[in-house]
Amino acid sequence: MSLVEGRDLHKIYSSDSLQVRAVDGLDLQIDEGEFLSIVGPSGSGKTTLLHLLGLLDQPTAGQVIVRGRDTSRLNGSDLTRIRRENIGFIFQEFNLLPVLNALENVELPLRYRAMKTAERQKRAMEALDTVGLSQRAGNRPSQLSGGEQQRVAIARALVAKPALVLADEPTGELDSENTCRIIELMRRLNEELHQTFAIVTHDLFVADYTNRKITLRDGKIVSDEWQEGRPLNCDLPFED
Amino acid sequence: MERGEMPRFILRNMWRRKGRTLLTIIGIVVGIFAFTVLSGLSARLNQQLGGAKKFYTNHITVVPTGGNLFGAAGKYLSLSKVAEIEAVPGVRGAVASIGLPLDLQSGAGSGTPEIIVGTELSGGGPELLAFTALQSGRLLQDGDRGKVLLGLNLANKFNAGVSDTVQMRGVDFQVVGIYKATLTAPDSFAFVSYQDGLDLFRAANPYFQVADIAGSIDVLAQPGVDSEQLSVTIQNQVSDIKAISPNDAVKQISQFSLIFNAILIGISLVALLVGGLSIINTMIMSVSERTREIGLKKAIGADTRSVLGEYLLESALIGVLGGLIGMGLGVALIAVLNTAVKTNGANVFTISRSVILTPVIFATFLGTLAGIFPALRAARLKPVEALRED
Repeated sequence: MSLVEGRDLHKIYSSDSLQVRAVDGLDLQIDEGEFLSIVGPSGSGKTTLLHLLGLLDQPTAGQVIVRGRDTSRLNGSDLTRIRRENIGFIFQEFNLLPVLNALENVELPLRYRAMKTAERQKRAMEALDTVGLSQRAGNRPSQLSGGEQQRVAIARALVAKPALVLADEPTGELDSENTCRIIELMRRLNEELHQTFAIVTHDLFVADYTNRKITLRDGKIVSDEWQEGRPLNCDLPFED
Repeated sequence: MERGEMPRFILRNMWRRKGRTLLTIIGIVVGIFAFTVLSGLSARLNQQLGGAKKFYTNHITVVPTGGNLFGAAGKYLSLSKVAEIEAVPGVRGAVASIGLPLDLQSGAGSGTPEIIVGTELSGGGPELLAFTALQSGRLLQDGDRGKVLLGLNLANKFNAGVSDTVQMRGVDFQVVGIYKATLTAPDSFAFVSYQDGLDLFRAANPYFQVADIAGSIDVLAQPGVDSEQLSVTIQNQVSDIKAISPNDAVKQISQFSLIFNAILIGISLVALLVGGLSIINTMIMSVSERTREIGLKKAIGADTRSVLGEYLLESALIGVLGGLIGMGLGVALIAVLNTAVKTNGANVFTISRSVILTPVIFATFLGTLAGIFPALRAARLKPVEALRED
């Protein structure tokens, strides 16, 4: 059984005169432990596909099946629950809450599942430690660099131990050094913790690190290749 | 979601836009401040009217035609009406009284007017005077001349005790008794005999030619006789008078509080509208500014209810803060004003539990209500659309 499966997915945006087929009849299976990238030119439907797989958006037609469960007929609160229990997100703009410090940001997903404060803080601290930022737990996002902010966001995506982490252009706002650090961090998390990742990117350097590269064009998969991931070599340890 | 830690984050969120949040709170503060002060005034008035009811409603009050409970301006009853009324079957006694301001220039002062009331002391007079308990001394009795029975405020004003002498309108009176505080109008009354009252009245109105007059006549019913029915009989049998039954008296008194309370409610409604709209405006702006954050929270597992609760709580908090500050300022002003007029003996405002609690509860309710629409808007945002927002 696949972790997440898309069956004949369509997503059509209609305005008065225009119909955009953002995702146009697409089948895809993601299995446990995969480290895959989704690439393609702008407007090829990468982000829309990610939103559909992450249950943030609903397809115009087709099904998203999470751990064998068809989600196409579920209502908003059921989708929220399945998302909460199975999926973590990483965004291009980090999307950390500015009024919360790093630890509180990482804790946030656990707050929505009625966990005791002590347990929550312990797990959030562990997640921060995993990304090498336990020293910065008390800092607000404005006091962190872009790379550090994205590492906090990765910790937030991991903290609830989701089956699948979906990352939308996670290195889009980072310089090349930090890009290297972030993608290697995700690869290590995949290798050491068997965390499944699906990464949308237009950066082929990032895509080269993944074991499976799916290329989209006009809402369709034009290639789905397995590859040897680029060896970890950016040799840029985190400073702390 | 652990509710206990929410307010901390909500306060931080509110503090992101200090200026706007403060201005919104000030909007509530102004409304609630006015509401509190008016409530204090209203509470005082209602208290006074409550006491007045006790004072006026144990008997039928007869006044000149066209008058109300508090007499008829410039019109007086002939004393011969006393005998006419006493002849009506069912009447146990009729007591003439005449009132005049304690000070020549009175009427301009704040608070309860200070009044000298001359009451006929034969017949039912002393019984009418026993409307409330004495703190010290005794009631006036038949044959008393040059004696006065003081309400507590006047006793304090004259700084007089029983058997002290006080001067009213240039005439010396000996204090025979002092009432306990009623917190209402009679606290500022000085009761003397009818004859003494009439003498003072004549001295003040040297050109007034009528010999024996009464401002009003208070009528006591015989036991077992219905005062309402008796009031109608008196009205029918005695000419040129208006008989006010206990029920009519209550109605007349209630009308005053009704009008005042209507003004209070009107002002509160304006406060509600202005304050509520400004909260709605602020919250809509907050929701728009944080659309992305709401999308993020939903993406990582916040359900509709937690988003709704978060924004409702923020809005309610604006109401609570505005309410607490506004009420605090209102109560402070009341305290200052009460102290300023204390020399007069009478408080202008009353600080009761409801004066303190109602504005705060009202503001909290207002804040919550105003938050419903913006909070629903936030809660209904679709995560994918909210995340796309810049």
